[in-house]
Amino acid sequence: MKDRLKLVVFLTVIAFIIQATVAFAQSEGETADSVISEQPVTPPPKPVIVSGEDIPNDNGHKLKLNWEYPAEWNDSIVRFEIYRADSPDGDFRRLGEAAGGIFSYLDIGSKKKDDPNYMPNDQNLYYRVDAVSKSGVTVQSEIGGPFQTSGQWFHKGKVPVLIGVVLFAIFTIYFIRSARKGKDLYIRPLAGIEAVDEAIGRATEMGKPILYVLGIGGASDIATIASFTILGRVAKKVAEYQTALTVPCYDPIVMSVAQDVVRSAYLEAGRPDQYSDDLVFFVTNAQFAYVAGINGIMVRDLPATNFYLGYFAAESLILAETGNSIGAIQIAGTDQITQIPFFVVACDYTLIGEELYAASAYLGRDPLLLGALKAEDWGKAIAMVLIIVGVLATAFGWDAFREFLRVNL
Amino acid sequence: MKRRVPLAMVFIVSLFMVIQYFVPLDSLAWMYQYLLDWTIIIGVFALLLGIWSLWHVSYGKIKQRAENWQYSIVTLAGLFIMIISGFIPGWGNLNNYVYEHLFYYVLVPIQATMFSLLAFFISSAAFRAFRARSILASLLLFAGLVIMLRFVPMGPVSTVVADLAGWILRVPNMAAKRAIIIGIGLGAMATAFKIMFGIERSYLGRD
Amino acid sequence: MNAGKLLSYIILAIVVIAFVVSIALKGFLVTVGAFLTLFIFSFLYKDNPYYKFAEHLFVGASAAYWMSMGFWKTMVPNLFGKLYPPMVAWAVPALKNNPAQPLMLIPLVLGILLLMRLSSKAGWISRWALAFIVGTTAGLNLVRYLRSDFIQQINNTVFSLYVTNASGFDLGATISNVIIFGGVICGLIYFFFSKEHKGAFGAGARTGIIVLMITFGASFGYTVMARISLLVGRMQFLFGDWLGMIR
Repeated sequence: MKDRLKLVVFLTVIAFIIQATVAFAQSEGETADSVISEQPVTPPPKPVIVSGEDIPNDNGHKLKLNWEYPAEWNDSIVRFEIYRADSPDGDFRRLGEAAGGIFSYLDIGSKKKDDPNYMPNDQNLYYRVDAVSKSGVTVQSEIGGPFQTSGQWFHKGKVPVLIGVVLFAIFTIYFIRSARKGKDLYIRPLAGIEAVDEAIGRATEMGKPILYVLGIGGASDIATIASFTILGRVAKKVAEYQTALTVPCYDPIVMSVAQDVVRSAYLEAGRPDQYSDDLVFFVTNAQFAYVAGINGIMVRDLPATNFYLGYFAAESLILAETGNSIGAIQIAGTDQITQIPFFVVACDYTLIGEELYAASAYLGRDPLLLGALKAEDWGKAIAMVLIIVGVLATAFGWDAFREFLRVNL
Repeated sequence: MKRRVPLAMVFIVSLFMVIQYFVPLDSLAWMYQYLLDWTIIIGVFALLLGIWSLWHVSYGKIKQRAENWQYSIVTLAGLFIMIISGFIPGWGNLNNYVYEHLFYYVLVPIQATMFSLLAFFISSAAFRAFRARSILASLLLFAGLVIMLRFVPMGPVSTVVADLAGWILRVPNMAAKRAIIIGIGLGAMATAFKIMFGIERSYLGRD
Repeated sequence: MNAGKLLSYIILAIVVIAFVVSIALKGFLVTVGAFLTLFIFSFLYKDNPYYKFAEHLFVGASAAYWMSMGFWKTMVPNLFGKLYPPMVAWAVPALKNNPAQPLMLIPLVLGILLLMRLSSKAGWISRWALAFIVGTTAGLNLVRYLRSDFIQQINNTVFSLYVTNASGFDLGATISNVIIFGGVICGLIYFFFSKEHKGAFGAGARTGIIVLMITFGASFGYTVMARISLLVGRMQFLFGDWLGMIR
């Protein structure tokens, strides 16, 4: 233990020195000299408005204005000022500006009638562009227009998403129905899930509590929802074995849901009297204060088993390492890719990404959930097929396939 | 009432969210913004539940003289001082001296220090990886070392390590992340679907 | 009095004296910050009263901090300010002339319903508020994840395996692309739940876990230096801002 501590301190110091060296070694950026160009003496020409394009796939109120300007004047024009009115002789309102050398402007108007920047759909709009030169001379363009904006009923760029939603819905419904009919669905074993019972049993034998951490996600985060289901199973077992359970929460809504889940589990196990709202409590919704609190619970209550299932950020490693130092069995799972490595290194079992979502189906063996799991697998199969076909199509120079898989927002 | 209303509500609200994604109309965008604002406001109401729970647990410990009950007094003192300083309007909502100084000289240092504990924990985790016996764990360790050493000056080896580190980040790292993300995407979609249609209802509890 | 107790009193005395001296020399605020920093660091040795103090203070104060933040930043401008602007005009004068929005009664009612769970009889009604939040996010998640985590990732992986550059065939880039392609496919195979990992499929899954492990290692290594720099930051605070030893 002492050697380990020495090594840890040593490693930290080494890393510290490296970091400090790197920080000091960073040289300061150089500033580029600005180039002053000479200005022509003749007055600048007028900008010429060439088009006003309605932005597609939106609710309207947006227009891209394009104009032309001689390139040789680029250096002498400081900016273009853009104006809009609802009639050619109306009151032109200044919208904004574009830097010299830029020949388009995205006019994002307001959809509210009482807003001075109101931009109605399906009505004529007129524009004017003023070029302002370095010497302060302003030249107005001819009035451009009429242009119109319009809203659309359907976002065509999102067709692939719509197809995806429909296909996935069909798969899910199909597999859920076949699972309901009693068709046996195979699922491969997951070590992290199989260890759950053993971990609860161990805590019972040792007469020590079980700590269940739901992470710092909200009640509607997918990872948290998956964790609720697992919590229900764990709590039921815990109630049957009469082991102590502690569920410190970060989010108050998560806390109230978790209270419901655990209360129901105790009821199902026939031990409603053992439940109290003090098992599932709120700590704080500040990330590191929450960690400080859980660390305290760990070193004082010495739980035999720690579950970290849900959404986790930087705190994952602090929790897992503290849990490790007290010798607890640790089962973790998160869909946060950056945190999975820390759990893999510091915990006994880690559910990686989708495995966490799948865990609820594993534990419940509910045909509905198993059916949905099967649909996910089909989704993966489709992903693989699309990738393979896409790569082949690209190899034969057929780029349309890739284009089809593009969502244009 | 207890189950049907919430399940119907989930279905209607989620269906609306899906439809508004595809239909770019003013009225839907208007409603969408409202819904998002509402969820945030409900979230703040929920904080009251949290404060109540914190009070309840801390007060309970003090009353029962449970182990370490003295520290629960510290929790409640922190809670009340911060609430009083944060809520007294005369002290200038949020711009008051006590509240701001408690934030900068109590909360910030503790938070930054908790975060910096990671420097030690990451070292001890790396040490655990050092003792790796399995091939998979050794692979993890090897990749980690290469990435860690990529900025360290080591003479002629430096460029090789830096190139290898760049390659690992660009190639296998990218591949695995994509696979994980596709899996997560499918799992998240399936969960969303199950919630919409009332198949997944663990969040409603049971009774 | 036993030795352990005596030692803890001696430590307490030292801490108190150091605290007082520090206040006299460096001022109150920076001293508080520095001592709380040291209290948290003391956890690395073992759990102790000083850590417990900082931890409990942190928990209570942070919960209240977010509570008042939520009140002033969300409730006042977005709920009360929209429901009946004159009510909050003294706090946020900018809202004074905004029209009242009766629709904001809905979150007010849902918020109150949520609080009903504190009652043992009407607790079930809080689920209405919960259903609203969960439903909103579920609908959003469905389309959002489908686009960014599914279609977008597949699209990114559809590329040419055969890469050329100015001087012709680029072997290195071609190998890299083949590995990305194979890595994604094998990674996906690993995540198959309803098929046994046997035979060729099993080999794919095993390759998948190898790629995953390399990635986890890389991600781990990538974070180390960032975490160490946090420690550098705290040391700068202690030795610079507080003790004035480095500038």
